[in-house]
Amino acid sequence: MAAWQNLVNFLGPDLTRIVVGLVGVLALVQVNALFLVWLERKVAAHIQLRIGPKEVGPFGILQTIVDGIKLVSKELITPRHVDRKLFMLAPIAVFLPVLVSFVVIPFSERLIIRDMNVGLLLIFAFSTFNVLAVLVGGWASNNKYSLLGAVRAVAQNVAYEIPLLLTVLSVVMWSNSLQMSEIVASQSKVWNVFWMPVAALIYLICATAETNRAPFDIPEAESELVAGFHTEYSGMRFALFFLAEYSNMLIVAAVATTLFFGGWKSFPGLGFLPVPGWIWFFAKTYVLIFVAMWVRWTFPRLRFDQLMNFCWKIMIPVALLHLIVYAGVIKIIN
Amino acid sequence: MIKDIVEGGWSLIAGMWVTIRRIYRPVVTVQYPRKYLEMSPAYRGHIEFAQFPETGSHNCVACGTCMRFCPTNVIKVQGEKTHTHSEKRASLYFIDFSHCSLCGLCVANCPTQTLKFSGEYDLAHYSRWDGVVDLIQRLEESA
Repeated sequence: MAAWQNLVNFLGPDLTRIVVGLVGVLALVQVNALFLVWLERKVAAHIQLRIGPKEVGPFGILQTIVDGIKLVSKELITPRHVDRKLFMLAPIAVFLPVLVSFVVIPFSERLIIRDMNVGLLLIFAFSTFNVLAVLVGGWASNNKYSLLGAVRAVAQNVAYEIPLLLTVLSVVMWSNSLQMSEIVASQSKVWNVFWMPVAALIYLICATAETNRAPFDIPEAESELVAGFHTEYSGMRFALFFLAEYSNMLIVAAVATTLFFGGWKSFPGLGFLPVPGWIWFFAKTYVLIFVAMWVRWTFPRLRFDQLMNFCWKIMIPVALLHLIVYAGVIKIIN
Repeated sequence: MIKDIVEGGWSLIAGMWVTIRRIYRPVVTVQYPRKYLEMSPAYRGHIEFAQFPETGSHNCVACGTCMRFCPTNVIKVQGEKTHTHSEKRASLYFIDFSHCSLCGLCVANCPTQTLKFSGEYDLAHYSRWDGVVDLIQRLEESA
């Protein structure tokens, strides 16, 4: 306890909060990735009538740790004709913004590192970094598959960011704030998913596309592009891309929980249960992640023109229309 | 356009209903090193002796037809007579499975039909000499 007091005295309350929060977020990101990789393999296996990992630990839960040890112990290969600095920078650049986004996510009423009044803006600003890192990685690899994967990733993410932000905008208009805790508070009566289901649907589709997951996994399409933008990466650099992908899933699902599913609030009609808010939050988040996995193992990959047509001809007009209609409705209600 | 969206959306829901039911179905894969499958009768493992109910043993007369037909010279058979005017019977029968192409000429041409394909499928070995099979010993062990 004295050591704790010393730390607080030395850093001051604000800095302590940030340091402790970042350490917690780092731990959360790692544990989450370990769990999600295992869960993904189990879900995939059971959908295909297999068992999945089962040898290492009970139900194979330690399989990902063993895989991680393997990846860490492997050599970091830098091919001869790559752009060395950018090649090494890309895995770091893809992973760092992930950490920043966790700063403003409200895990419960008081469990939030910093409740900024531009929280939502911060998340979407930093998640755009992801695209840049993917482009840098694909470009620096000096490999046609990497470059094609990166180009596809940029085209896809830029296109799907528009309907994503448009739907988020209608939520922001309703809650009248960009602050994450305010957005949750505005859903105390009814969750936004019941009040604007179309927006929730568009958000979930765009979020799947933003995290480059099937059926929108065109940037890393195994059957066409080997592994897309991370073809040339090995060892821990590859693991960082992998870690960023699963952490991005968590962020996207956590933001969806905050925006549409009532954040840390209990499920409707279960408010009497003595369950802390963060358990509700994580329950909702992981249900959403499970749905994303379920979708991944159900649908085949889209062709690139189908993907772009779907975005520009359906998603963006619907999102725009949704925004205009809800703007009118909110004006009338107020 | 609207019709496409509704029909497409419905097909997506139908697809997801198909996969979610699979999660609770029993698995169909066999956990191989712990459980073994029974092979179908048409499967070709390496050859082995058939056991005839009349004699309770094989019926190989060591004529050497299989040895001469074998395209890769895999088979080595020797026989001896029990007494002067009796038929020969195989006393040694070895195959080197590492060279065998499972063509089946030996099985097709055996005059006493004492050769058949086994259901053996665990055929990977650590050394090339592990591929040598003693058919007589194998028959005695199975009996």
